[in-house]
Amino acid sequence: MKKMIRVLAATSVLATALPAQADVVIGAVLPLSGVNANGGEDQRRGIELAVAQINEAGGVLGEPLKVIYEDSGNVPQRAIDAARKLVSVDGVALVIGEYSSGITIPLGQYLVAEGVPHLNPASTSGLVRGIGATSFSMVGLDNVSTEFAAKDVLDRGWKRVAVLAMNNAFGQGVANEFGAHFAQLGGEVTTTIMYTSGQTTYRRELQQAESTEPDAYVFTAYGADGGLMMQEAYELGLQEDPWYSILITMHNADTPAEFKTGLIGMDVDYTADDTSYKAAYEEAYGQSFQSAWSGYAHDTTLFAAETIERAGSTDRPAVLSAIAELGAEGFTGVTGEIKLDADGQRMWQPYQKLKVEGDALVSHE
Amino acid sequence: MVQFIFDTLFRAADLALIAVALSAVYSLIRFPNVALVQYAVVGAFVGMALQQQGVPIVPAVLLASLLVGGIAQVFNAVIFQRLLRLDPAIALIGSLALSMVLSAGFLLGFGPAAQRFSVQVAPATRVFGVRVTEMQVLTGGLTVAILIAFALLLFRTPLGREMRAVSTNPVLAAATGVNTARVTGLVVFLSGVIAALGGAMLALRGSVSIDMGTNMLLPVFAAAILGGLGNAFGAVFGAIVIAAAETLITNLNFGPIVGQDHVFLPASYAPAASFALLVAVLLFRPRGIFVSEVTRV
Repeated sequence: MKKMIRVLAATSVLATALPAQADVVIGAVLPLSGVNANGGEDQRRGIELAVAQINEAGGVLGEPLKVIYEDSGNVPQRAIDAARKLVSVDGVALVIGEYSSGITIPLGQYLVAEGVPHLNPASTSGLVRGIGATSFSMVGLDNVSTEFAAKDVLDRGWKRVAVLAMNNAFGQGVANEFGAHFAQLGGEVTTTIMYTSGQTTYRRELQQAESTEPDAYVFTAYGADGGLMMQEAYELGLQEDPWYSILITMHNADTPAEFKTGLIGMDVDYTADDTSYKAAYEEAYGQSFQSAWSGYAHDTTLFAAETIERAGSTDRPAVLSAIAELGAEGFTGVTGEIKLDADGQRMWQPYQKLKVEGDALVSHE
Repeated sequence: MVQFIFDTLFRAADLALIAVALSAVYSLIRFPNVALVQYAVVGAFVGMALQQQGVPIVPAVLLASLLVGGIAQVFNAVIFQRLLRLDPAIALIGSLALSMVLSAGFLLGFGPAAQRFSVQVAPATRVFGVRVTEMQVLTGGLTVAILIAFALLLFRTPLGREMRAVSTNPVLAAATGVNTARVTGLVVFLSGVIAALGGAMLALRGSVSIDMGTNMLLPVFAAAILGGLGNAFGAVFGAIVIAAAETLITNLNFGPIVGQDHVFLPASYAPAASFALLVAVLLFRPRGIFVSEVTRV
């Protein structure tokens, strides 16, 4: 009798420790703590809403979908350790992650080496393209955003522009891709200035740009850099010509209203034309979108569930071929159509044209 | 060309005050105090903090400068005097260490982002085809005024004579009744004040972040050494030379050479220009362009 009780106790402990065998389990590595914790939390909300929606409609393969969250702490090594745990202990079908490119890339490389499908829900660096064969992006990379920007700038009649971008992997990607798209569409980049982020003045860079006499200035900048650059452009009188910001929300809050009158730009859109997701989010969390990224995490989860459904099992090779198939065919989520190119990267995504009004950004067509 | 001259002069103004402070203090205590560039940052940050507390900008900057002068004296008494008894090289390393500690302190106290004084910003006006802002003219003028005031103090007052005497021959000066400790203390105080004013002027023209001190270190040292360390007004000339080299590097259009319309070197290459110039001058004139009084002991 005593032995019987022990066995029962042991099995019940095991049963609570492991997810029920029947559940379909996927993993998510997100920055739930650290500097990007707000972004990570917003991603988690998007995933939760998707899981609720899927399970309400009957789950995946007839079973409830379960997501195991791991915190990257905004540290690459912690993200990899988390992924290792998801792969070897939890045996997940695929892993969604992370937020910033600097972590998504090593995380993806680990997953590719293990042969585990990786879905990138947020990182846009051009370097993401090189992660490997089993890695897929549910967001458009910089080549997509800069093509949108190049077209937008040309449509406004500015044929000759000076480009300013920060001298890091992201900035170089933006500058190169923008230049290539702009030239292809018939425009001319008078000069490309790669500035060092975190300087106390950008006067020299601005004067270099000015001396090429462009029709407009196209730039991308992080918070405080963008604020200072706009102030100095205003002081130097360079704002007599138009300014266009790529990913304008990065620095808008750091730029005082007086220095950004008439500034226009673009950024990723929260959702495409779908308003039901916005309503669901606001109902569940009692506030409006905290970032652009919950919608993308939401769609990534829907996409993952759909591919597992198609694969007929959580067997990784089957899931991989289902991802490739669905990616080629196209899948519609709240952020519009997700269609992947030959490298498994999203070919299109919604962007919004924005302009400054006082301190705020408003849509601008 | 006019643009080049303006850019050079304003850049020289950035460097001159801190370089003069560095050189002045070297003339008396014979070691280059690296932490002086951080005193400039302290001056700017404290000034901003006071302004945020509601102090008007002029008293805020003055108060901050006096405070930094006091801090300079404290550090000198507590750290550098003791290290100097061992070896000037150890004092130099000590000042580098202090500079790093201060930098870490700024990160804790003020965060990593660049900060500005809240002053009215107006678009630039054109002078001789060159854009000049009100703040540039104002701070440039103030910089010149401070330099002139320091020159008058040094060359036209009994105190200045004592300062020069102590720097030329401290033993003889002491023997003739000069209180060398008092004079040294005063110069250390003044160096802190001038460096802090330099930092505040820089902040008024642009912004200040915690790594401004580190960024200024090389050009300021290059200017002071070029002018002949210990020769305070040689440092002003050194600042102009360094500023001209930096401006040349960043304003020159290399486009025609590589067959394009416009190609500029990144502005972050400017410190390389000052460093190259420093090495070149030191090869031919190891004591700087102007032989300082120090060598005539």
